[in-house]
Amino acid sequence: MIFHHILLQIFHNFNQERSISAPFHLLRGKRSGQTVQDVGIYQLHQYFGILPKLTRTKYNEELSTLIENQSLIVKDDGFYELTRNADEQLKKMQKLSLDGWHYRGNEHIYFARLSLIIQTLSHQRAGQMTFVPIQKDEQVQQWAKGFLKANQYKGGQLQPRLLNEIHSSLEQTNVEESGKNILILRLSGYGSSGLTWQQIGFQENMNDIDLQVIYIATLHNWMNIILANSEYFPLLHQMADGLRIKNPLTGSAFHSAELFNNGHSIEEISKIRNLKLSTIEDHIVELAMNEPHFKLEQFVSTVDIKKVFTAVDDYNTRKLKVLHEVVPHLTYFQLRLVLARGEQDAT
Amino acid sequence: MQLESILNKYFGYSNFRPGQKEVIENVLQGQDVIALLPTGMGKSLCYQLPGYIFDKPVLIISPLLSLMQDQVDQMKQFKEKRVIALNSFLNPAQKRTTIHYLHNYRFIFISPEMLLQEHVQQKLNSMELSLIVVDEAHCISQWGFDFRPDYLRIGQVIGKVNRPPILALSATATTKVLRDIESYLNMDGPYKFIHSVDRPNIHLGKMLFQGREDKIDWIMDHVSKSAGPGIIYTQSRSKTESLSGRLLQAGISCAAYHGGMDPLDRQFIQQQFIDGSLEWIVATNAFGMGVHKQNVRQVIHESLPSNMANYMQEIGRAGRDGKDSLAILLYAEGDEEFAKFVGIDDYPVDAHVDSYLSYRSRNEQPSSMIQNGEISETAFRVLDYWMNQLQPAEVRQQLTSMKYEKMRAVEEVMELIDTNKCMREKLVHYFGQTLDNTPNDCCQCCGMDYGKIIHRRENDATYPHLLNWKDRIEILLLGNS
Ligand SMILES: Nc1ncnc2c1ncn2[C@@H]1O[C@H](COP(=O)(O)OP(=O)(O)OP(=O)(O)O)[C@@H](O)[C@H]1O
Ligand SMILES: [Mg+2]
Ligand SMILES: [Zn+2]
Repeated sequence: MIFHHILLQIFHNFNQERSISAPFHLLRGKRSGQTVQDVGIYQLHQYFGILPKLTRTKYNEELSTLIENQSLIVKDDGFYELTRNADEQLKKMQKLSLDGWHYRGNEHIYFARLSLIIQTLSHQRAGQMTFVPIQKDEQVQQWAKGFLKANQYKGGQLQPRLLNEIHSSLEQTNVEESGKNILILRLSGYGSSGLTWQQIGFQENMNDIDLQVIYIATLHNWMNIILANSEYFPLLHQMADGLRIKNPLTGSAFHSAELFNNGHSIEEISKIRNLKLSTIEDHIVELAMNEPHFKLEQFVSTVDIKKVFTAVDDYNTRKLKVLHEVVPHLTYFQLRLVLARGEQDAT
Repeated sequence: MQLESILNKYFGYSNFRPGQKEVIENVLQGQDVIALLPTGMGKSLCYQLPGYIFDKPVLIISPLLSLMQDQVDQMKQFKEKRVIALNSFLNPAQKRTTIHYLHNYRFIFISPEMLLQEHVQQKLNSMELSLIVVDEAHCISQWGFDFRPDYLRIGQVIGKVNRPPILALSATATTKVLRDIESYLNMDGPYKFIHSVDRPNIHLGKMLFQGREDKIDWIMDHVSKSAGPGIIYTQSRSKTESLSGRLLQAGISCAAYHGGMDPLDRQFIQQQFIDGSLEWIVATNAFGMGVHKQNVRQVIHESLPSNMANYMQEIGRAGRDGKDSLAILLYAEGDEEFAKFVGIDDYPVDAHVDSYLSYRSRNEQPSSMIQNGEISETAFRVLDYWMNQLQPAEVRQQLTSMKYEKMRAVEEVMELIDTNKCMREKLVHYFGQTLDNTPNDCCQCCGMDYGKIIHRRENDATYPHLLNWKDRIEILLLGNS
C-alpha cells in the first residue's frame, strides 16, 4: 500500500510526460543524465535511489496491481495515464517523506554503525565481552571501535547517554510509531536478537517492500533531526556526520561545477575540458538543481522565470517543447535551468 | 609439550576426539593427510591446534563465504586475534592492506577464487606457510565438476615441490571422491584417516505421499505436534518463504533461510536459532556446512536432495550433542524429476558453446554473455573453465556427461526412497564403507517409532512479546530492570 502510494505520487509528478519505466530508474537511483535531470524537473528528490535493489520483475508486479485496481492505464507507446481513482487516492494518502537524493544509501552506513555499537554496549553492560559481531564490514567495525574508545565506553556511562539521545531524537522524528518499531527491531543485543524482515512483516502485518520503504523513511527523517540538532545529540551526530551528501554532483559534473564556481563561463569550461557545450550545459543544470545558492538570475531574468512558471501552470506541463512555444525567446537551456531550480526561486 | 596439554591450554578440552590426534601427529611430521571425519566431529581442530605449534601461517581454503565468516568469528571468540578471511567482503583498499600484512596472521581463510588471483599468488609465493588446509574437500569433486571449477585449479597453484603439507578435510567423501581429492591436489602419498561416516544417533525416517500438497499438510501437522529445534530443507527460495509463512501463521516460531537474503537477517536467524528463540528454520541448502547448534533434534527434507553427499551434510546438522535425533525424507510422486530439473536447470547447454565460440571469433570477451543475459554467472564459470581446457566438441561431450552425472546422483538418492532394506546401510555403502552396528530404531525400513526419538511439542508461547521501540531500546542498552 505504502509503496503503491509512492508509485502513484511519482507518476503524478512525472505528469504523464515520461514512460512507465521512469519511476523504476528513479527508485533504483540510476545515474544517467536523464534520470538525474528529471529529479530536478519533476521535483523527485525524495525518491531518488531509495530502493537500489528493486528488481524489474518486482516493479512490474507492483505496476500490475496498480493497473488491476484501476489506478493506472498503460498506453501502447509505453506511456501512461493516471485515473480518477488514482487522483482520489493521492488526495487521501498520508505523505511519507523521504530524502533519497541526499542520503544515497548512506543511511545504511549509519544504521550499521549504530547496530554494532548498540550490540557492543548491550554485551558490555551484561559483562559479556565475547560475541559475534552483527556487522561484518571491516570498515564499520573499525569505525565502531574508534567511536567506543573515543567515548570512553568502559565507564558504563555511555549506555544511558546514548539511550537518552535515541529516545529524545526519535521522539522528535515525525514518522509513524510503526516505523520506529521496525527500526529498533532490526537491532540486536545481549540475549535479544533482532528480527528478520519476514518476522517483522508477520508481526506488523506488512509486506516486504512497504517495510523497506518505511524503514528507509524513518532513517532519513531521524538522521535529518540528528544532523539539524547536533548539539543535543552529540553521540548520534558522530555516527551520522558526513553521511548526508551536500554536493551530490556526479564525477564530471563536479569538475565543471568547480570551474564554474571559480568564475569561468560555460564556453570557457567547454574549451578547458574539451567537452561539448551541451555537455557543460547539462552539468550547469545539475549544479542549479543541487546548489541552494545558485543564482538563476545570471542566466534568466526574474520576469522570465515567472513567465515560465505561469506557463507550467496554465498548460499543466513541464514538457520543454510546449514551454518553448509559449516563451519562445528563452533557449532550451534556460528553460531547463528554470525547471531544475523548481519553484524555490519563483516565490 | 604434550599434545593433550596444548589441547587444554588453547581450547579447554581434556581429550581428543577419535581421529584428531592421529591427524595432528601426521600433520606435524610434515605428512600430507586426508581426514574423513563425520559432521560435527571436530575437523577444525585438526588445523587449529597445529597452528599454535607452527610458527608460520596456516592457509585454509574454504568453499563458502558464510562458512568462512562463521569460522573466523568462532576463532575470534576463542580470543584468537591473528585470524583473517580474505574474501569478496573486503573492499579494494582493505584487500590491499590485508594482503600486504598477510604473513603476520596465524590463520588465513581464503576462497578458491581469491586464491587464484595474481597478487594473492605473488604474496603467497613470497612467504612461507606451515600448512595448507582444504576444508570441505569433497567440493573438489562435487563442486569442481559442477559450479566451482576453481576448486579444480587449487592443485595447480599449490604446486608439487617445496610446499608445506596439505590437509584435506571432509565429512562426506566416497572412495571416488577420495581419489579425486588426492590427485587434484597432487598429494604425496597421503596418510588417510577414514572414520565411519555413520552417525548412529541420527535415526533415518522417510514418508511417501501421492501429491506435493500432501507433504506440506503432513509437515504442518507434524511440526505443530512434535518438538524442535529443527530444520526443514526445501529446494527453492520462494518455497522457504511460503512454507515458513504458513508455519508462522500456525503459531510456530520459524524463519526462512536462503542464499539471497539480507546479511543481517542471516545473523539474526543464527542468533535466534542458537539462543533457542527460533524453533524451526526452513532453508535451502545454503544453510548447511558449518552451522553449529548442538541440539538440533529434527531435519526434514521436504524435497529430494540433489545427491547423497548433500543429504549426508544436511542430516548431519542434527544431534551434534550425541543425543537421539530424527531425519525424515519426504517424497511425493514425481519429486525425482523435479530434483533433476533443478539440478541441471542452471547449466550450460550446446547453444552456449556456440555462442561462446562466436564471441571469441569476433574478438569479444565471452564473459559479455553474462551482461547480455545469455547465461547465468555460475553456468558461465563452468563453461569458461572447460572451454579453456578442452576442444569445443569435447566440451559438448563433457557437458552432456556432467548433466548425466547429476541426474544419476538424484537416482542414487531415490534408492533411499525405493529400498525396503536398511537405509543406513545404503547410505554407508554409498560412501564405500560397511556398517558395523545397527542402532535401535535404525531407520524406517528396520522399523522405528518417531515418538520414541522426538518429544511432543509443548505449547509454550515462544513469541517475543511485542515491545514498543522505547522499551526495547532501553532493554538492549540498560538490561531488564
Ligand atoms: N576434542 C574435543 N573435545 C570437545 N569438543 C570438541 C573437540 N574438538 C572439537 N570440538 C567441538 O566440536 C564442535 C564441532 O567442531 P567442528 O566445527 O570442527 O566440526 P566439523 O567436523 O568441522 O563439522 P562439519 O562437518 O559440520 O563442518 C565444535 O563446537 C568444537 O569446538
Ligand atoms: Mg567444518
Ligand atoms: Zn536401518
